[in-house]
Amino acid sequence: MTVQKSHFVCVVCPIGCEIDVVHEDSEILSMEGQKCDKSEEYVRQELLEPMRILTTTVRIRGARWPVIPVRTDGPVPKRLFPRLMRQLKRIELQAPVDMLDVVVSDIAGTDANIVATRSMPQER
Amino acid sequence: MEVDVAVIGSGPAGLTAAIHARGSGARSVVLLEREEELGGILKQCIHNGFGLEQFKQDYTGPEYAERLIQDLEETDVQCFLNTLVTDLSPDRVITALSPEHGAIEISAGSIVLGMGCRERARGSIGIPGTRPAGIFTAGVAQRFVNIDGYLPGRRIVILGSGDIGLMMARRLTLEGARVIGVYEIMGYPSGLKRNIVQCLDDFDIPLHLSHTATGITGKERVEGVTISKVDSDLRAVKGTEQLITCDTLLLSVGLIPENELSQQAGVEISAATKGPVSTETMATSVPGVYTCGNVATVFDIVDHVAQTGATAGASAARYVGGRLNGDVPHVDIVPGENVRLLFPHRYSFQGDLLLFIRAAEPVEKPVTVEVSPPGSRITRPYARPNEMLRVRIPGAKLAEVRHPLKVSIREK
Repeated sequence: MTVQKSHFVCVVCPIGCEIDVVHEDSEILSMEGQKCDKSEEYVRQELLEPMRILTTTVRIRGARWPVIPVRTDGPVPKRLFPRLMRQLKRIELQAPVDMLDVVVSDIAGTDANIVATRSMPQER
Repeated sequence: MEVDVAVIGSGPAGLTAAIHARGSGARSVVLLEREEELGGILKQCIHNGFGLEQFKQDYTGPEYAERLIQDLEETDVQCFLNTLVTDLSPDRVITALSPEHGAIEISAGSIVLGMGCRERARGSIGIPGTRPAGIFTAGVAQRFVNIDGYLPGRRIVILGSGDIGLMMARRLTLEGARVIGVYEIMGYPSGLKRNIVQCLDDFDIPLHLSHTATGITGKERVEGVTISKVDSDLRAVKGTEQLITCDTLLLSVGLIPENELSQQAGVEISAATKGPVSTETMATSVPGVYTCGNVATVFDIVDHVAQTGATAGASAARYVGGRLNGDVPHVDIVPGENVRLLFPHRYSFQGDLLLFIRAAEPVEKPVTVEVSPPGSRITRPYARPNEMLRVRIPGAKLAEVRHPLKVSIREK
């Protein structure tokens, strides 16, 4: 275990505080630059495991367009993005699809589902 | 056909305007859209971050659009899809073409312009070099990837740090392309800070400030882009050129309101904002013609676009109902210290004034936005050219004003 310094830009709000953190692994020893308390939770999570919403597209058959936009229905570990993308490359949906339909449930053991972010009717 | 209100364009501004025009008493409202679906550019903006202010939700673009479309479907607003407006006259007659209806003429009591904006392309910034395939605006690449399902290239250089370019840096990286870097001529990024963090930093994509493209090579296809540093006058510095091998150049170098139709209607265009000269009711210089969203001025976030759509829709309904005069006294709103852009351009004494202000230079300290007369001072934590400030001046404070309102941003 070593004490490290890291730099973060908080994205909780549009201000985007530039924060310097001294930490031992994911334990915050001190931090400066934040203008409110919300940054601490953000930085703690960033040190522990950066979480993000993934938005992408998957292929779809029988619709007006060849791909349909999707997202995770909650934040997932950022480091798993390449794995999620590989898995989503392999699937193909069949129209019609409704907005928020679950396309893949519990993807890669993240507890998050992949949901469609628009409706796509079947093309006549 | 004759209608109370005709709205041109069904992006977030036009959809919101149509809903609000109907909701504010217009008896017949039509919405004209040249594409085959409603929603405008939101359909290809598949990332999240939309509607945080308006709906307190973190929607993706398509979700935001679908929510507005659902609201629209609860009204009796008549939508014309695949309908291209080819002419707009000062007395509010619209000529449009569609495969379904042929040529149609619509005489409207009032009109809302919601055509949005266009991307600046290579011609606007004049990059020397050959003219190969592989040079796209960021929005065109976004359409290719997110709607048509094509990857436009494998090794990508992005010129300009506008938000769409930042989004595409992340999107193309996720899809397996290599984004070599984002090069910005200014000394500060033009996109929002959170987008720099979440689209570039998250994927270790470098952002090079004070750099620009000074050459393009390749015969059939882009083979490389020459990048140079620029000095404080934004001129390329000799000897700093580096050739970057790539097959694609994306341009994210600004947006310009799309006012071809506005000009046909005789609307006065502002040299400062490149959109119609507008009042706080979103009235243009032509009575009965209103403007909203990015055709009015280019906004940063969809919530502001929709907010102006709501105002324009309500104003259009009031005009057609005889409750809002097309020719009312007004005072100008003029930029003072550290203000690059102001919207609207005029105040016409119709209630509160919602001002959108873009700073000329970044101030990373608390600032005072001063509007004088009437001498209002509003504090903000910072002022950045890439994030419009929005302030509201109560109508009651402005009732006695007889001189131009001067807006300044000063360090507190």
